[in-house]
Amino acid sequence: MFSIIYKNVFLIIAAVIMVGSIVIVATVGLKYGIDFTGGSLMEVSYNSAPAKDVVSAKIETLQLGGFSVRESGASESDKSGYLIRTRDLSDNERSQLEGVVLSIGEGSHVERFNSVGPVIGTELKDKAIWAIVAVSIIIILYVAYAFAGVGKPVSSWVYGGITILVLFHDILVPTAMMSLLGLFRGAEVDVLFVMALLAVLGYSVNDTIVIFDRVRENLKANRTERTIKKTAAGGVVYEETEYTLTKPFAVIVGNAVADSLARSINTSFTTLIALTALFFLGGSLTQNFALVLIAGVIAGTYSSICIASPLLVAYADYIEKKTINSTKK
Amino acid sequence: MDKNSAESTSPKVDAFLRLFRALVILVTISGLAWLVYQNAITTDTKHPFKLGLDLAGGSHLVYEADVSTINPTEVPALMEVLRTVIERRINIFGVSEPIVQVEKSSFVASEPHQRLVVELPGVTDVGEAVAEIGRTPLLEFKLIDESALANIQAIDIINSSIASGSVNISSQVEANKDPYIVTGLTGRYLKSATLEFTSGGGGSLANEPIVSIQFTDEGGQLFQKITSENIGARLAIFLDGEIVSSPRINEAISGGQAIISGSFNPETAKELAQNLNFGALPVPITLASTQTVGASLGLDVLQKGMVAGIVGLLTVIGFMILWYRLLGIVAGLALIMYVVIMLGLFQFIPVTLTAAGLAGFILSLGIAVDANVLVFERMKEEYRNGKGSHEAAKVGFARAWFAIRDGNATSILSAIILFWFGTSMVKGFALVFGIGTLVSMFTALTFTRTLLMTLPDTKRVTGGLKSWLFGSGLSIK
Repeated sequence: MFSIIYKNVFLIIAAVIMVGSIVIVATVGLKYGIDFTGGSLMEVSYNSAPAKDVVSAKIETLQLGGFSVRESGASESDKSGYLIRTRDLSDNERSQLEGVVLSIGEGSHVERFNSVGPVIGTELKDKAIWAIVAVSIIIILYVAYAFAGVGKPVSSWVYGGITILVLFHDILVPTAMMSLLGLFRGAEVDVLFVMALLAVLGYSVNDTIVIFDRVRENLKANRTERTIKKTAAGGVVYEETEYTLTKPFAVIVGNAVADSLARSINTSFTTLIALTALFFLGGSLTQNFALVLIAGVIAGTYSSICIASPLLVAYADYIEKKTINSTKK
Repeated sequence: MDKNSAESTSPKVDAFLRLFRALVILVTISGLAWLVYQNAITTDTKHPFKLGLDLAGGSHLVYEADVSTINPTEVPALMEVLRTVIERRINIFGVSEPIVQVEKSSFVASEPHQRLVVELPGVTDVGEAVAEIGRTPLLEFKLIDESALANIQAIDIINSSIASGSVNISSQVEANKDPYIVTGLTGRYLKSATLEFTSGGGGSLANEPIVSIQFTDEGGQLFQKITSENIGARLAIFLDGEIVSSPRINEAISGGQAIISGSFNPETAKELAQNLNFGALPVPITLASTQTVGASLGLDVLQKGMVAGIVGLLTVIGFMILWYRLLGIVAGLALIMYVVIMLGLFQFIPVTLTAAGLAGFILSLGIAVDANVLVFERMKEEYRNGKGSHEAAKVGFARAWFAIRDGNATSILSAIILFWFGTSMVKGFALVFGIGTLVSMFTALTFTRTLLMTLPDTKRVTGGLKSWLFGSGLSIK
């Protein structure tokens, strides 16, 4: 299997992608939406929208502090409008703002208004981080449990650990993309983004587990068992089963990846089909959600084939070298 | 082929049974689909699709309750009173199916917060809604600390005489001592309020409008206790944070009756009595967040989501048929079954559909075929090794089961955590995601399996059209 044979190349590529993503997120940063920072967002539509300067000038007179006006993706094809962001507004300020923006164009209508207090924003951010951490912990525990008894040469906790490492990669890639989207398209990190990330987590772990599952099955099919009776201190006799693999571990893992390759690619393809439909036809509200998931699904499929399995083999090699070295001494 | 199974008695009976089963399954899908469709288009159905505010249009308000002065053990009961009062208030202005619920901030928050979440479907004028709820008066009784009050008044006088001077000492003293002492007697203990007029005498004018309030038994006792312990002090009556009057306590008052007098005219007094009767707030609340979605925007999101869903569904089915041929048709039918069951569950559980939930559902259309793909790939291996299609299917299911189980178990666990942590928007997504995983597993394991067994048992060596139909990939061979 190519990804095992050239495992060093793929692991270096993975490291480059991860470092690159971290650099992007660290330097560009994420643009947090009002869900997390607190603030107000008003979407107003007109039959024919007035110029942006006119809207800005009008809002300036209210002295609400910093604000931004951006053209909204037309929610109804025959109308156009603006998204106006301000700090968290009181009810009185809201009606003032509404009065001003409605007065400057024909057929004006407030499509939506969101206002989030700073406390709720901070709390939501904490919740989001906790949710991601909790999901990751559950996944590592489940994988360690489900793969318990997988035996040599790699313990079930390593499968769990690699799964998490791969998840980190799969979250990092869409997050870096979100950074760039924020820079070029003004995309903001909101609750939907967190949900997309969690869905990526779910998808990616599924993909990795299916391959590991095949590794487990192939390990069982390609080993010989030998039961040895041993006597422990105190004269208690117990049995210990020793397994010997009939093929090298790398070959077994490589075959597992090859066996599940068609499934991995087909499932990600159908998922991408659904997401592409959502991106192009689902409206502006869920467009970024779809885009984040598309990046996550591609990263998830790539990582389970080209990162998770090579890593498993690399770790087994490392353990082998260590035991050889320690027996030499 | 299994010699014991009923199908193997004779080829004709066998074929007939298979055809019968296939028909039963197709009739089941069509029947369920018809039910769901009928239920969706009937206007006065008992089980309509329940649309969230972001799809149906409406307002979502979150109020923060200030419970800092309340004994923590009393907070739950007090929040319940608050909920009932607000709910009654909303029912007065006739919103269909409003939701009012108490929400505690989760344990991950640094400080606990008590909130009231108000959902008003169809109300897109948030100003009007806020004003209506704001009309619910907050009634509080507080004792006055005369010395602290005197200090503040003195400082006010100094400050105003200095007039824009550089010294301002008031804030410090005020922060040190609040002249109004919380008694715990609030609108929570209010039973009823009536408009009355003074009869004159006792130094007051005749025919002044006043509001007479009757406390509940518990409130009456509290009132008696406060008045008996503080004879000579003044008890200030606060309405929405403003003092309306501060009568001096001359004697202990039993019977649970109090009078609010002030600069009322008959109209304002009447309105206050009415509003108090609808309920007075037991704790002060402030608006922490609002979310309003216009009905047209919500409809737009819904329609676009539906189009995206239908296109996504058909394209996925198209791909499955192109790649897996006959098996692809089976997977396509299973996917349609999945959609029908999900829509049915949305109607009958019911699951509130939000924009996020809809997006999650569309995403699940792509993931739902995964179990089928896993089984088909396994089947293909067995088939290639010369097993008949029925035997290959059986082995395929057995082999794929562990991967299906482990993959789906983590998805379901994630959905549970999401549901547990989430706000209402996240909950909608988590529910669709979790149910979707379960249902797709169910349809793949039962439905696809039964359908595969209804197909004629074919071996690879037979070649020709049948063999091609059971193959996969894009090759013509």
